[in-house]
Amino acid sequence: MIRFQAFVRASIIAILLASSPVFASNAPTVAEPAPVFDPLEGVNRIFFGLNEVVDILIVTPTVTVWNTIIPSPVRDGVSNVFNNLDDVYAGLNHALQGNGTQAAVDFQRVAVNTTIGLGGIFDVGTKMGLQKVYGDFGQTLGVWGASPGPYLVVPLLGPSNLRETVGRGIRIVSDPRTYADPGLSNGLMALELVDNRASTAANEQLISSSSFDKYAFTRSIYMQRRAALVEAGGSRH
Amino acid sequence: MKRFLSSLILAFFILGHGTLQGHALAPEELVTKLAADMTSVIRNDPALQTGNVPKLSAVAEQTLGMRFDFERITRSAAGRNWNKASAEEKAEMIKQFGKLLIRTYAGAISNLKDLDVRVKGSRVNAPDKDVTVRTEMVGRPQPVAIDYSLGKVGSDWKFYDVTVEGVSLISAYRDEFTAIIGASGVSGLIEQLKAKNAK
Repeated sequence: MIRFQAFVRASIIAILLASSPVFASNAPTVAEPAPVFDPLEGVNRIFFGLNEVVDILIVTPTVTVWNTIIPSPVRDGVSNVFNNLDDVYAGLNHALQGNGTQAAVDFQRVAVNTTIGLGGIFDVGTKMGLQKVYGDFGQTLGVWGASPGPYLVVPLLGPSNLRETVGRGIRIVSDPRTYADPGLSNGLMALELVDNRASTAANEQLISSSSFDKYAFTRSIYMQRRAALVEAGGSRH
Repeated sequence: MKRFLSSLILAFFILGHGTLQGHALAPEELVTKLAADMTSVIRNDPALQTGNVPKLSAVAEQTLGMRFDFERITRSAAGRNWNKASAEEKAEMIKQFGKLLIRTYAGAISNLKDLDVRVKGSRVNAPDKDVTVRTEMVGRPQPVAIDYSLGKVGSDWKFYDVTVEGVSLISAYRDEFTAIIGASGVSGLIEQLKAKNAK
C-alpha cells in the first residue's frame, strides 16, 4: 500500500515535470552529433574524479573479492533475484509507456520466475522465450516527451542527467526496500551495486583502455544509451 | 571443421558470386564471414584466448585492417574540427586513430572464445551505398545488439561505424575528440593518440 501511494505521488511529480516548460521539448531523441548539454561540467568532472577514486579504493576490490569467493551459480542467482524485482518495474514502465504487450511479457516473467524460478533465483522466463526488455522511470519520462536536461554525475552512483535523476528518485520512493530496516536496505543496495558492477567491469576496462578523456567518452556513451532506450520505448507501440 | 568448411564456402561465395545476390546482401555476408573467421582463429589458439594484446592486434589488423574505412571514420570522429587540420595532420590522425581502433577491437575479440555472433538482418540506408547490418552477440545471459554500418568504397564494402546497444562508437569518439581539440588543438589530439598507441 505504501508503495502504491508512493507511486501515485511519484507519478504526479513526473507528470508535472513532463508538462512543465523546462522539460517539455520536441527535441529529436536520436543521438546525433549535437554536443552534450553539460553546463555543470566543472562540478561533474570533480564528482567523476571522486567516483573514480571510490571505485579504485572500494568498489573494484569488493567486486574482485565477490567474483573470487562467490561461486558463479550463486552470483547468477543474486543477479537473477535483482533482475526479477527489476522486471516488476520494467512491466510498470512499459505499461505507462502504453506498451501493454511488453508489460504483459514482463509480468509473465515475474510470475514464472517468482514461482518456478524459486523467488527469482532462476531465470526460467528467458528459457521459456520470455525475453527481458529493459524499462525504467527515466525512460518513461523520455517517452512522454521530457528532454534529458543537463548531464549530471551523481556522487557514488555515476553518470546521469536531470531526467534520469528524477526517474531514479521515483524508483527509490516506490521501492519497498527503501522502507525496510535501514541496515537491510543499505545492505541490499550495496549488494545490488556490487552485482551491477561485477557484470559491467569488462566494459569499463574497454572504455579506459581506448579513451583519452574518460569523462567525455563516458558522458557520450551514457547520453547515447539513454536516448536509444527512450527511442526504443517510444517506437515499440 | 564444420565452421572452417562453412566459412570457406562463404568466402568462395563472396569472392565468386558477390554480385549474384545483389549488392544489398553482400555486407551481411561479409559480417557473417568475418565473424566466423575471427571466431575460429580465436578458438583455435589458446594464446589469443588469454588476451595476448600484440598477437590479438596482429590478428585484428590482418582480418579487419582492410575492412575499415579509416578515412571516413577519422573524418567523422573529428567532426567540425576536421577542416582545421592540415593535410599532414589529417594523414597522421587517420593513421594513429586507425591503430587505436585496431587495438580496441583486439581487446574485444578475445571475447569470441565463448560468444557467438548472430546476424539478424540488414537495413539498406542507400541502395548499393550504405547498409547497416544488425547482429546479436549471444552466449551471456543478455544478448548484446551490435549494428555494423558499412559504406561502399569503390567496389568494396567497408565499415564506418559500430553501434553497440544504441551507442555509436564514432559519436563517442567525436565527443571526446571535440573536448581534446578544444583544449589542446589538433596537434594535441595527435600527440595523445600517439601516446596511447605507444603504451
